[in-house]
Amino acid sequence: MKKLAVFAIIVLIFGTVSPSLVDRAYGQNDPSILLRIAVQADKQIVNQLDRVYGDQIPNNLQILYDKGHRAVYSLDESLPDDIEKAKKDFLVAMNSFMQISRIISQSSEKAVVVTVSDKSNRDSTSEIDRLEKYVKTLEKISKKYNTNVESDFIKIYDLIQELRIQINDEYGAYDDVINEIKIILNSIKNDIRESAIKHKSDFIKRFFDRLLNQIDKLLTHAQDNDVDQIQIDKAHALILEIRELLSKNQINDAKVVYVELKELMKNIGYSIQIT
Amino acid sequence: MYSFIEPTQSNQSLGDDGILFVRNEGIFDTMVKTSLLIASMIIVAALIPIQSSFSSPRDLDLIIYPDGSTHISAEIDIDPFLTDYELNLFGSTIDNLVVVGDNEFLLDTDIIDNYVLIQTFGSSVINIEYDIHDLVSKQSKLWTFSLDSPSNFTLLLPQNSAIVGMTNLPINMEIINDQNKLTLPSGKTEIDYLFSNTISNSIPDPKTEINYFSYAIIGGVLIIILIGAVIIIRTKQKNPKSVNHNPITEKNNILDIETIFKLKPDLREDDRELVKFIFNNGGKALESELRKKFLQPRTTMWRAVKRLEREGVIEIEKKDLQNLVKLRKNMEEEE
Repeated sequence: MKKLAVFAIIVLIFGTVSPSLVDRAYGQNDPSILLRIAVQADKQIVNQLDRVYGDQIPNNLQILYDKGHRAVYSLDESLPDDIEKAKKDFLVAMNSFMQISRIISQSSEKAVVVTVSDKSNRDSTSEIDRLEKYVKTLEKISKKYNTNVESDFIKIYDLIQELRIQINDEYGAYDDVINEIKIILNSIKNDIRESAIKHKSDFIKRFFDRLLNQIDKLLTHAQDNDVDQIQIDKAHALILEIRELLSKNQINDAKVVYVELKELMKNIGYSIQIT
Repeated sequence: MYSFIEPTQSNQSLGDDGILFVRNEGIFDTMVKTSLLIASMIIVAALIPIQSSFSSPRDLDLIIYPDGSTHISAEIDIDPFLTDYELNLFGSTIDNLVVVGDNEFLLDTDIIDNYVLIQTFGSSVINIEYDIHDLVSKQSKLWTFSLDSPSNFTLLLPQNSAIVGMTNLPINMEIINDQNKLTLPSGKTEIDYLFSNTISNSIPDPKTEINYFSYAIIGGVLIIILIGAVIIIRTKQKNPKSVNHNPITEKNNILDIETIFKLKPDLREDDRELVKFIFNNGGKALESELRKKFLQPRTTMWRAVKRLEREGVIEIEKKDLQNLVKLRKNMEEEE
């Protein structure tokens, strides 16, 4: 018993202490990154101010820049000994530079707020990169389902290559190729879905089977603890109903009944959840 | 299923005469076996990633493309007893959404405004990937990334971008293919950046300390210290300076103070003062009395008393839940 107690205490102590040690180690991972970011930002701001204002920097911006630059200097001094001060200096510097760059952007003659979500503002290269990433993800999934769509993927990759060439071609059929890729992708997705139906059905039935067995056990326990028999009978009836729906492959209906069963179990004090 | 643990009484600590002796020196070794200690550490080591993983999402990685669109990938722990899981997508302009569950099982999804309803059906971990166009805005040449993240996340900025402002302290930064990759804490984050062809990414290549390395070092040091401590204690236990704790056979054969010091010439000066005091106090004193006399904290005095006990100068007895420190009577014979 003593050994058990000491064992438990050791586990508790180390369990409490060790994650906090790790967190601290992580948080303090190379604090000089703060200086690197701040110095880089400082250089960029100087460039911006030079480019936009030359020697006639507005007073408010000069004050802000001086504040930020002083903070970068102080940040350099604070490292590596005074991490807390370094953090404060970093935030002061980055905040000042942020204000400067926003003021410059707002005052720019071409100050137009661009909505990135607007499709017309999207960059073709970025769009192709994102599309290629998506294709690779689908390819990985399709292999899981043993679908015969390898040739489709080869075709898509060829089209993606074609797209990259056409980006700079004013007369290229960029949109047509994109549409062609999307059609093939939809076909692949349908193939995956079809192949997944069988897997999915088995998977869902296994899931419910596991769950309903557990609820059965909970109901036995509830019966031993004198829970209202009417409620227990109702729960058993719902379990039967779910099993029947599953046998008919009526997954969505089974889900609806399951939600009702979950609520009932909660009402009689037996939540179905991981504790 | 419930099990009950019956309390058991151990008679091992009771002597034949029924008097309870407490030997602090061997208590750790008696109670904690090395195997127990190692087992506990293994359990703790195994639990650390589990403790960390119960934050949701477990991993959140963002890649910003040059046009401001952002690819998000996240790994999320979910309750396997759920049939559906609703997830905030950080925005409503979503492309290329794919969600896979356990064993890369493709899951059905429905996007409703900023949320996606995922039919999880027993998956305990889901991986979600999608592109979003709501996280970055642009004014003139300034790009602003904004996110209120539920967990720490990594952010890969586009090539040739330079940060000119941020509201949070980064946890880490590294350069991957000339792109800044930041690790940022949970909560609201705003980062302003510009694209620059004139200034290259002149941030010196940071020392990309791998966090696993920190884990390994900390874990290693802790294990070495503990194993070392256990070995030392065990070694001492195997070579004990036999101390006879039997208060009933007390004799008046305490050595005089000069003889004690001759037998133990290496005693520290402060320990000698302690011995003198005990000697002048009739050969015994409570540890609390020693603390009061020498104005020492409890742990300092405890260490001094333990030191003298190891030297074989004194012996410790329990008296009314206190430590009674007595000068040894048979020191000369043992020497």
